[in-house]
Amino acid sequence: MATAAAFTRRGRGRNALDWDQFRALLVASVKLDLRSTRMQRGRTGKFPPIAAAFATYVVMGTLLALAVMSTDDVFVFSLFTLSAAMFMTALLVIMEYSSVVVHPDDFDVLGYRPISSRTYFWAKIANLGLYVAATAFALSIPASIVVGIKYAPGAVLTAVYLLAALVACQATAALVVLIYSVAIRVFNYEKFTRAITYVHTLSTLVIVFGYVLLPRVLAKDVMLLSVERGAWVYAVPPAWYAGAVELATGTGGRQSLALAGLAAVSAAALIWAAMNTVSLDYSRRISALATASAKAVKEAGRRKSLGRLGLPLCRTDEERAGFELMRSYMTRDRKLRARIYPAFGLPLAVYVYGLITGGLHDPFVPQEISGGFPAHQLLGFYSVFITLFFATAIAQSDQWEASWIFYSTPVRSRAGIVTGARKLIIWRYLLPFFAFLFVLLAFAMPPAKAAMYVLLNLLLALTAFALLSLTSPHLPLSQSLEKAKQARQIGLIMLLGMSMAALTAILELMKQVPRAGFAVYPALLLLAVGAELLLRRRLERRLAREEFPG
Amino acid sequence: MEDGPRERTADGAIVFENLTKSFGEIEAVKGVTLSIPKGQICGYLGPNGAGKTTTVKMATGMLEPTAGRAIVEGFDIVKEPLEAKRVIGVVPETGALYATLTPNEYLALVGRLYHLDRDETDEKTHTFLKLFGIADVADRLMTTFSRGMKQKVLISAALLPNPSVLFLDEPLSGLDANTALVLKELLRDLASQGRTIFYCSHILEVVEKVCDRVVILVGGEVIADGKVEELKDMTHQGSLEDVFSELTSSENLAEIVRAFSRSITGDGGA
Repeated sequence: MATAAAFTRRGRGRNALDWDQFRALLVASVKLDLRSTRMQRGRTGKFPPIAAAFATYVVMGTLLALAVMSTDDVFVFSLFTLSAAMFMTALLVIMEYSSVVVHPDDFDVLGYRPISSRTYFWAKIANLGLYVAATAFALSIPASIVVGIKYAPGAVLTAVYLLAALVACQATAALVVLIYSVAIRVFNYEKFTRAITYVHTLSTLVIVFGYVLLPRVLAKDVMLLSVERGAWVYAVPPAWYAGAVELATGTGGRQSLALAGLAAVSAAALIWAAMNTVSLDYSRRISALATASAKAVKEAGRRKSLGRLGLPLCRTDEERAGFELMRSYMTRDRKLRARIYPAFGLPLAVYVYGLITGGLHDPFVPQEISGGFPAHQLLGFYSVFITLFFATAIAQSDQWEASWIFYSTPVRSRAGIVTGARKLIIWRYLLPFFAFLFVLLAFAMPPAKAAMYVLLNLLLALTAFALLSLTSPHLPLSQSLEKAKQARQIGLIMLLGMSMAALTAILELMKQVPRAGFAVYPALLLLAVGAELLLRRRLERRLAREEFPG
Repeated sequence: MEDGPRERTADGAIVFENLTKSFGEIEAVKGVTLSIPKGQICGYLGPNGAGKTTTVKMATGMLEPTAGRAIVEGFDIVKEPLEAKRVIGVVPETGALYATLTPNEYLALVGRLYHLDRDETDEKTHTFLKLFGIADVADRLMTTFSRGMKQKVLISAALLPNPSVLFLDEPLSGLDANTALVLKELLRDLASQGRTIFYCSHILEVVEKVCDRVVILVGGEVIADGKVEELKDMTHQGSLEDVFSELTSSENLAEIVRAFSRSITGDGGA
């Protein structure tokens, strides 16, 4: 093999790549990816999360391709579908960074083995590359088929589209890895561990803007799926890859060539840069993220009284226990926070988008009067969407084995523990978030209307939080973290939540029949309470017979 | 109670020179200096939080010392990590392994990481697992294993590359009595073959029986270092347990027990 000379077979140098170790680590990583921690002999029929996640992505990709195939412009089609694929890739790498880029156990298992950093990082990068490639393939195969049938019949364009999608997603993953590496190098360790959750949020905001919203902002009419090309295409990464696809159809001009060139150069640069960042030391840092320093514990202590103000919401000892447990973990477990905080980047990004486009107008009057794309509806959707992050994340922890205590103590109602944890989330995160949203919206619409709109979204969010928790009816922090587990749940939930039908219908009703508002709020309140009772009942039944998963 | 540092052997299989580790303001290990000659089993004792595991992590390259250095078989663990790690076997306190692999797969991975011949790895794996009584579950995922079963796999992994130095952090954790007996005998046998063993444990009876030398750590500092008999003579105590209590406990143990008992029954806490 020509490249064999480049590898030092026995890794004599401290930073040499050891080919044998590389292969062994990669094979082990792939095996770990494909297995669920709860898989056992005789129970291997259970779908590993990664397979279920990919199946979800195929469905999402299909829906998206069908939604935008009405356009006759291959550039526009590719722009939207590639944006979605890149966004999903970024989101899953951000949200599951601690398991996608490095396995949480890597440092404890491999730290004392004779493996060079270079060997480790090559194995991890190869593993990440495979994972991202599989994700990109699952998300993009439907769009590639549409491209091959509609825009330039033939298998060649299908292959070109797939290649563009694979490279685009790899470059996106590399960008996230780079953001982390910069954060690690810029901040000292203590600051980094504090900054990481905010890096997540900021990354989400940047990515949402760069890949999804900016093209829409710049589009003349987003609903018609057309874009007016200008210099902006050079600033929007998905446009680069869309240009490459267009070039392959033979319809592109100089601009497509330039965009394709940008795509190739930027991807190569990003991937090269990312490949120089990951090392075993990353695993140590990621492992340490869950451990609060003495300083952080002191800070958490200072915040104790504020969090405890919500305790009176809890009616039983079990609820108080769940409340306190979740309060401590949300304060000290940075991994948990890092999985949840990115959610807040989405509505913030939409808010800024609404300000730019003038789309944040009075939601209770017909659109033709106030004009502009109704960004508030998108904001409403994302306000509901953040509850999905909480619903899926609060059950998972890398310290899930500690949940044995709920099974070994005479707990009267395990459901009460979940209820307490959920009350903490509502008290400490959802209510302040919607209060903050009210303040923001009060700049864009009359305060009374802002309050009405925020209340509407809060009731919808509480309903969604209860209903979505039905998909993860587990004790808090009692489920193991697994690669793609959260991504699969979010993917599934995104499918459920892709429509803003409920919010749109309510707004339309209130526009057509202004007095309907008197009935809408009590009805939504009843809905939220009903959803909560339904969840409570399911939890009571499910958790009463659930065995300790360890 | 330390009667001055013992004579250091310059060519010890394990040498710590002023080994220090700080975590922010907390100094976990404070200038530990030791030299453990080839073929010795050194017990490393101390109360919870004394810095034992931190020492092991520094000596095995998992933590970088804040100051000082650790040398294993002549290799500085910071400057020559790969060379040092090739000669050591480790049973970590955390019991960490990839539980979604089978023992066969896990040990095959370890064998590859040390460049062992595949047939040799398979043969050793089969032998170890059989001797430990878990050969029948060699192809099952370890997610279902008990702590003791996982510990047997970890010990097998530590022995697989035939290391000349072993770092064992609570190696008997979860093991049944028979396996513990086997392991104790095995350690003596390995030491007689010239292997050096650094043995961290809270089980003083085992340390007393197995170790040639005992080092006691309190608050990150070595407060005693010697043969078990030397420590007994020095403290005028009859057992290592009493020596340990004498050196590490600042309070009256009987009073602590009474206070606990009162607290449990609700008659007033400590």
